[in-house]
Amino acid sequence: MPMLPKRTKFRKQQRGSLRGNATRGNYVAFGDFGLQTLEAHWLTARQIEAGRIAAQHFLRRQGKIYIRVFPDKPVSKKPLETRMGKGKAETDYWAARIKPGTILFEVSGVTEHMAKQAFARIAHKMPVRCRFVGRRLAV
Amino acid sequence: MTHETPTLVASKRERLGTRYAQRLRKSGQLPAVIYGHGADPISVSVDEKQTLAHLHHGQHVFNIEIEGEGTETCLVKDLQFGFLGDNVIHLDLTRVNLDEKVKILVHLDLHGELKAASEPGAIVMNDHSEIEVECAVRDIPESIRVDLGDYESSINVGELNLPKGMVAITPADTNIIHVQIAAPEEPEESADDAAGGDTGDSGDADGASKSEG
Repeated sequence: MPMLPKRTKFRKQQRGSLRGNATRGNYVAFGDFGLQTLEAHWLTARQIEAGRIAAQHFLRRQGKIYIRVFPDKPVSKKPLETRMGKGKAETDYWAARIKPGTILFEVSGVTEHMAKQAFARIAHKMPVRCRFVGRRLAV
Repeated sequence: MTHETPTLVASKRERLGTRYAQRLRKSGQLPAVIYGHGADPISVSVDEKQTLAHLHHGQHVFNIEIEGEGTETCLVKDLQFGFLGDNVIHLDLTRVNLDEKVKILVHLDLHGELKAASEPGAIVMNDHSEIEVECAVRDIPESIRVDLGDYESSINVGELNLPKGMVAITPADTNIIHVQIAAPEEPEESADDAAGGDTGDSGDADGASKSEG
């Protein structure tokens, strides 16, 4: 089942804008390898779930997959054949706002080759260009 | 250090600021700053390729040969990364004495396999790839070798055989690596089932941001 918040303070949100690059969540923190986005986008809960399933089916029960983004933005949509007006529509889906540099998924407990193959499958489900990254230098 | 300290030739940066730093990076140099020990900070630039090669090998201490200033022994204190979070764009170096005790992150070099890793359904989880230690600058190793064959199903920081004079700062009960036995395989869920489902703002929700594989 796609992810969505347990409860929210407000039911509907304005659209907002996605400017700049990710300054948080932009490095591999939990796993050994990660999938990093190179574009800004609204990533729907369904897309995240599709990516998770694609990777999990490939990895079977090896390794551990971490999802680093959470769809916390409600996106509303008016029903078809509805006249304009009458207020803001109900929530249609939930989305995560991602900026260039955001790590979408991480994996640990598998080889680099397997992680690359799993991420290639996830990347096919994503609406953005992604790249494979490892842990960065630590001092 | 059990090995020789590498020497980097640095040139002083007369002009500071983003644009000058960007020009340096384009010409294959890495902007850096040297500070500490009560002396004035010096803005320098070092060869990027050479420096990164040393850093990737786990080197923490350098002899910085500054043109017209002499040589200083420096410890890498901090790294700044570019917007995608992987390319090093700036280096912070602090002046140190070789006998000074410092706290640093040291990479763990894992060899072999845990005994429990051969069990069916076993997943080897690397919880930490480096640990924080305190030791004298001259004793800083490139990495700490851990032979996994000596351990059963997990290793804590407290169980590590650290080199003499080195003390772990990371709590002793912190797991470095452990074996997780996966639950018996469930019937496969179809992709259609997963793509469907309620997306309204009411009802049950999966609030976890991490999903177990």
